[in-house]
Amino acid sequence: TLMRAMLDAHPAVRCGEETRVIPRILAVKQMWARSSKEKMRLDEAGVTDEVLDSAMQAFLLEIIVKHGEPAPYLCNKDPFALKSLTYLARIFPNAKFLLMVRDGRASVHSMISRKVTIAGFDLNSYRDCLTKWNRAIETMYNQCMEVGLQRCMLVHYEQLVLHPERWMRTLLKFLHIPWNQAVLHHEEMIGKAGGVSLSKVERSTDQVIKPVNVEALSKWVGKIPADVLQDMPVIAPMLAKLGYDPYANPPNYGKPDQKVVENTRRV
Amino acid sequence: MRVTTRRVLLLVGSVAALMVTLHLGQQVLECQQVLSERRHRLMRPENEELVMVDANHVEYRYSKDMPLIFIGGVPRSGTTLMRAMLDAHPEVRCGEETRIIPRVLAMRQAWSKSGREKMRLDEAGVTDAVLDAAMQAFILEVIAKHGEPARYLCNKDPFTLKSSVYLSRLFPNSKFLLMVRDGRASVHSMITRKVTIAGFDLNSYRDCLTKWNKAIEVMYSQCLEIGRARCLPVYYEQLVLHPEQSMHNIMRFLDISWSDTVLHHEELIGKPGGVSLSKIERSTDQVIKPVNMEALSKWIGHIPGDVLQDMAHIAPMLARLGYDPYANPPNYGHPDPLVVNNTHRVLKGDYKTPANLKGHLQVTQNTSSPH
Repeated sequence: TLMRAMLDAHPAVRCGEETRVIPRILAVKQMWARSSKEKMRLDEAGVTDEVLDSAMQAFLLEIIVKHGEPAPYLCNKDPFALKSLTYLARIFPNAKFLLMVRDGRASVHSMISRKVTIAGFDLNSYRDCLTKWNRAIETMYNQCMEVGLQRCMLVHYEQLVLHPERWMRTLLKFLHIPWNQAVLHHEEMIGKAGGVSLSKVERSTDQVIKPVNVEALSKWVGKIPADVLQDMPVIAPMLAKLGYDPYANPPNYGKPDQKVVENTRRV
Repeated sequence: MRVTTRRVLLLVGSVAALMVTLHLGQQVLECQQVLSERRHRLMRPENEELVMVDANHVEYRYSKDMPLIFIGGVPRSGTTLMRAMLDAHPEVRCGEETRIIPRVLAMRQAWSKSGREKMRLDEAGVTDAVLDAAMQAFILEVIAKHGEPARYLCNKDPFTLKSSVYLSRLFPNSKFLLMVRDGRASVHSMITRKVTIAGFDLNSYRDCLTKWNKAIEVMYSQCLEIGRARCLPVYYEQLVLHPEQSMHNIMRFLDISWSDTVLHHEELIGKPGGVSLSKIERSTDQVIKPVNMEALSKWIGHIPGDVLQDMAHIAPMLARLGYDPYANPPNYGHPDPLVVNNTHRVLKGDYKTPANLKGHLQVTQNTSSPH
């Protein structure tokens, strides 16, 4: 949500709220394609991959275009949509992808302490959530690598909050969108026309109205059960793969920019 | 008044000033308009035209405003026969069951049914209008692209008629054909042919009749709500006993010009512009035959005694639709000579399923899903 809010602050970009329906239709489409029996039946009916792709393009486009303000660059943020990253890259040949990556321990601590219901995640168990986090990020990461660096960029949350200007410049260059200072002050554009539209039912809304800050970086330290800490690299091998030391509690993510220190103080 | 040089100059100067003021005023108005347009920006699709191209490179436009035909009903009610006969018309294309249209309709219904979910979606800007636009686009693409182009496009997925009111709103010029059949015959067909339908217990005539009743009740009431101008109930028995009269009535309802081919669909199986069949659909082996009466009263003697006794109670829709719940069978009517002839040829064994249309013989090969 932070990522999309910062992009929303750019006058030429509109992401808007999570559509909720896009991941669902993508999941259902994936089910049809995965079952070889069903795929055969659909082919027999003339509902080939080509026809399905055409229908999916049409559906997704209508939702993305119409659920928010018009803008030259349209953007969509539905976390689990990136489980269909390669598919989306195929049906939208000029689309680019930003895969948000964060220390799984922090993500899991957040969903558990804030009680954010996510299908398949047992909020009573750090072990289960970390296992599910690992599986999910692995799928998305692999697809990101598959479509390649020209089209998919990994954005580490910690780096974004510690060094927002550096990363936003890199990001906008990746997206081929001209720089605009507004992206560093998304908190000034909340609810404004051409700015950041927030949903009162989304779980990150109360955090994203604040400027970029380091509040959330290490809240997880001391909260994870010891047995889980011990098995960490086995439970979540993606941690190491993404550059997070599974035994460091916490790892040294880096030193915040001066602006971020100030923001955090104000917050 | 005397005409002096000063007065002329004054006049000319005033006119000039007036003209400059008018010009500036016009500029300001144009400028304001441009600014306000920028504030009320519009998204336009890059490609305004939706087009299908056939084998002869002829282009057919399609849109949500086209006169779509939706055929449906409880499975085993003659829906495939109906669409096959229409497919035989040179200007109409229905094609096979898409399978996915009923599923997305069910998802759409689930999203708006839950008050909580609807509120969350509205908060996200995903309003009914937005969802409807996405549904129109999806459904249209599937219908237009899963078969040959044609002037009149048609879709047959039995359970779509549980959403006929919604579809009639999405597609304002669409029409609906609701296939109605004696529930006892439909149920006997699904049980003996082991046609899996979600929610129907094929081990129980009682359960299937109860589910048949619920389903047809919903579809029939929506058909009535849509109105006679746009939704026509078609009685299977009447269609097979009097095909010519029934088809004339249907073509008139659809406002499509008559073609004799609709009475001989069996001659156009697998032909371009004709009837495309799927080897996995459960009615394929029946619909390759000409219109006949084979299936009308097969159910006689097969329904358990206790169910027969409670019939009116189990399936009140029977009476409502004009079928006597205690008559086994009711007198559906007398067949046209054409149909007598056809039935004769069918019983002789003239129509065998061609090899390319033989599907697997598995029991649960094809599931229809109500929503």
